[in-house]
Amino acid sequence: MAVFTRAPKAEPILGQNRVVAHLLALLTWIIGLLFFFPLFWLTLNGFKEESVANSSPVLFFDPTLDRFSEVTESTTGLLSFTEAFGNSFWIVLISTVLVMALAVPAAYALAIRPMRKWRDVLFFFISTKFLPIVGAIMPLWIIARDLDLLGTRTVLVILYTAMNLPLAVWMLRSFFAEVPKELIEAAQIDGCSLIGQIRQVIMPIVAPGLAATALLCVIFAWNEFFLAVQLNPVGASTIPVWVNSQQKFQGQFLAGLSAASVLATLPVVLAGWIAQKRMIRGLAMGAIK
Amino acid sequence: MAEVRYEAASRIYPGSEIPAVDSLDLDIHDGELLVLVGPSGSGKSTALRMLAGLETVNKGSIYINDVDVTLKPPQDRDIAMVFQNYALYPSMTVAENMGFALKQSKVPKEERRRQVEEAARILDLTPYLDRKPKNLSGGQRQRVAMGRAIVRSPQVFLMDEPLSNLDAKLRVQTRAELADLQARLGVTMVYVTHDQVEAMTMGHRVAVLKDGILQQVDAPRTLYNSPKNRFVAGFIGSPAMNIVDVERIDGRLAIGSLPIELTADQTAAASSDDSTDLAVGVRPEHLTLANGGLDGEVSVVEALGSESFLHVRTQHQGEELVLVVREDGQSDITRGDNVSVSIIGPVHLFGGDGERLGD
Amino acid sequence: MSNAVVDRDTESRADEVKRLERREGWKRRIPILPALLFTIVVTQIPFLFTLFYSLTEWRLDTPEPREFIGLDNYTSLPDDKFFRDAAWISVQMTVMAVLFSLIVGTLLAILLDRKFFGQGFVRTLLITPFLVMPVVAGFMWKTQMFSATFGVINWVINLFGFESVEFATRYPLASVVVVLVWQWSPFMMLIVLAGLQGQDTSVLEAARVDGATTFGIFRQITFPQLRPFLELGTLLGAIYLIQVYDHIEVIVGGQPGAKNLPFYIAQRSIGGGNRFGLASAYSIVMVIAAIIIANIGLRVLSNLLKDDS
Repeated sequence: MAVFTRAPKAEPILGQNRVVAHLLALLTWIIGLLFFFPLFWLTLNGFKEESVANSSPVLFFDPTLDRFSEVTESTTGLLSFTEAFGNSFWIVLISTVLVMALAVPAAYALAIRPMRKWRDVLFFFISTKFLPIVGAIMPLWIIARDLDLLGTRTVLVILYTAMNLPLAVWMLRSFFAEVPKELIEAAQIDGCSLIGQIRQVIMPIVAPGLAATALLCVIFAWNEFFLAVQLNPVGASTIPVWVNSQQKFQGQFLAGLSAASVLATLPVVLAGWIAQKRMIRGLAMGAIK
Repeated sequence: MAEVRYEAASRIYPGSEIPAVDSLDLDIHDGELLVLVGPSGSGKSTALRMLAGLETVNKGSIYINDVDVTLKPPQDRDIAMVFQNYALYPSMTVAENMGFALKQSKVPKEERRRQVEEAARILDLTPYLDRKPKNLSGGQRQRVAMGRAIVRSPQVFLMDEPLSNLDAKLRVQTRAELADLQARLGVTMVYVTHDQVEAMTMGHRVAVLKDGILQQVDAPRTLYNSPKNRFVAGFIGSPAMNIVDVERIDGRLAIGSLPIELTADQTAAASSDDSTDLAVGVRPEHLTLANGGLDGEVSVVEALGSESFLHVRTQHQGEELVLVVREDGQSDITRGDNVSVSIIGPVHLFGGDGERLGD
Repeated sequence: MSNAVVDRDTESRADEVKRLERREGWKRRIPILPALLFTIVVTQIPFLFTLFYSLTEWRLDTPEPREFIGLDNYTSLPDDKFFRDAAWISVQMTVMAVLFSLIVGTLLAILLDRKFFGQGFVRTLLITPFLVMPVVAGFMWKTQMFSATFGVINWVINLFGFESVEFATRYPLASVVVVLVWQWSPFMMLIVLAGLQGQDTSVLEAARVDGATTFGIFRQITFPQLRPFLELGTLLGAIYLIQVYDHIEVIVGGQPGAKNLPFYIAQRSIGGGNRFGLASAYSIVMVIAAIIIANIGLRVLSNLLKDDS
């Protein structure tokens, strides 16, 4: 079935003419570079002096790493970059661990030893994603306030877990479903206990899928802004909130902000680049398989 | 080794009225290679899986060596199974695959290695012990699956169409090796296949299933010579038996203009059967081209070299009927030739319900 | 040989099996219960609260207690100019973002569905916008591209002799849509690409043998096959894009021209408006709209899932 890791088939849609093929390849390259340009420019600006950045766009200049090192030192605003990074790190880590802890058994129950109405349950999980979060934000805010959780990491950990859980269940289920039923039956006949089956037979096969799912959860949790800003405007702010707060204060410090933005978004972009094939496969298979 | 007994065992899938396996009664003897054969949907795989413990037994019981195993999980039954797709553990080497069950039983490492190497020797797998399944050919994988089963020295071997994924030539070769192995080890083996040639060549006894119901279980020769009903008669033997619906005319039966000679036993059975629809079966090798028989035209010649099978278009009861006749492999008969068909062997008689009448 | 034998004497095999099957059924359900319960408590129950709030007049900044006013909040909606504006902006924003990212994504998928030098690298370039933190994306476009003083787009425009335009203030809605399309086209591209690569090459070859032209093949064979993927993309895109917030906050910061419903709701309640009852009613309207979209979507999904039986 469709997997992008496979080279595209020999029959492309648009023409087989050699010249046309080369032109199209060139066009694709140009579009690719254009698409990436804003990010390239952002990164470039991070290496500039403020005076250089705050004028008309230039491509050539003397690069400096000062802006990047300043980011970690900066104390303007109520929160420092390092604090926000720390908050983001812990919140994302713990919520992802929780998501996996909940989603793995769920996927097992939906794929390997499926319960009777597994399709309905899967539907339900997916459907929870369909309701706009804004429809629940008020009660959540009120409950968080009453439980004294506003401005804490805990509230975001809980909410990010709930946010990513449907996605994780969806993806993990499709990875678990790839384990051939006969393999598990063979393990049973060979005298393997349930834990043994999971550890020795199932895990080696789904391990890459687990990693890809976790990575996707990390991406969404790291980038999340709405909940973070509504429930945590100051206290345990995450990176996205920090970035947003900076631009209100520092209209003239373009280079510095560019550097900060690059650092803010870099972890996730790198993670996405590394795991793109498998994440795509997990998402695609969940939908298409 | 062990005896296996199915007692009125049934498997009914939830939400379905019709059983996948309907009240199966089957005794399998110690050291026997019993083949379960039938078309797809016949319940043969289901019956095997019931023995393995992978399918719930809704009614009846299953015994291994007189022990009721019906409610026991697979790991407690001391059986080994070879799956159609081999089900080899992809992250383990051949040696680890074969030693897996022993590891579960906490067999010490040295002993494990010894048994694995022994089984590998029997199956010519020694050079591959450190490879992973993805680096093996289909035939090699199949042998690893066998090795995994042998190493355990179980009471019963279960085989679920183990040769279906091999190409034709390899299949024939492996078939012989498997039969030889079973005879040498003297293990009780229950073997499922849809291929009746495989069934006939390998089985000590063959059990034919259709729609979940056991049709007949006998030695291959008996199945071939005395099929109990129309289905078995048409299923066993290749090319299939010619089965023709006939009407009694003046108490006599005929195919086209060719009269049928019944044995005394058959005549007696036929007269006590009230139904007007009877069927007559004749195997291709019991038909021959001889003058004075039923006239017809050759439509297809299957020339196999050792023999030829001629499809002859004849007329029977006002409609066209094609009979398959076995001829000598060197014969020059071709399509379009006009020939005459006669019976030179026993004839099988089936009543209106398909059951065999007489001998 | 203890209980099993004794029990068999007293109950029939069929009953025994049924008992075991029921127990097995529960054993299969248990692993999913934690996830299920967690999701219901954290995501579903709050909605019920919102529904309840929507039936009240509740201002958090006054000492008056919350009072039940029935459907008054809802009946006031048609006359609520701000609500109508926000809803209309939501519709425009969602439709344009979904539509354009679908078109761009499909074109990208078509271009990418071939073998050429550096295909993997270009694909990596193309999916990056989707990975970028939305807040950063908003900031990046606002200052580096749209800005009248140091934006690249204006620099290019100046080259052609035109005057600089501060896009974010002049065209707030369009600016937001551009950034959304930039971020979501890769998502659409991946979905369509999955559809393209799942095609049966033998069918395409048969069409060529039958003499069909390239465009003919695309129109009559490929496109119909792509439909479920396009539907899936539209559906998932709509579900996410209707909830856009980050970009609006960063790019236009509450300017009237681009305030969609989520933004307005947040502003009206937690963001200082303090009219929780009314804002809840807004939310419920949005939820109903989302449910309608979702129902269409669930049908699409169920068709896709049905193939996996």
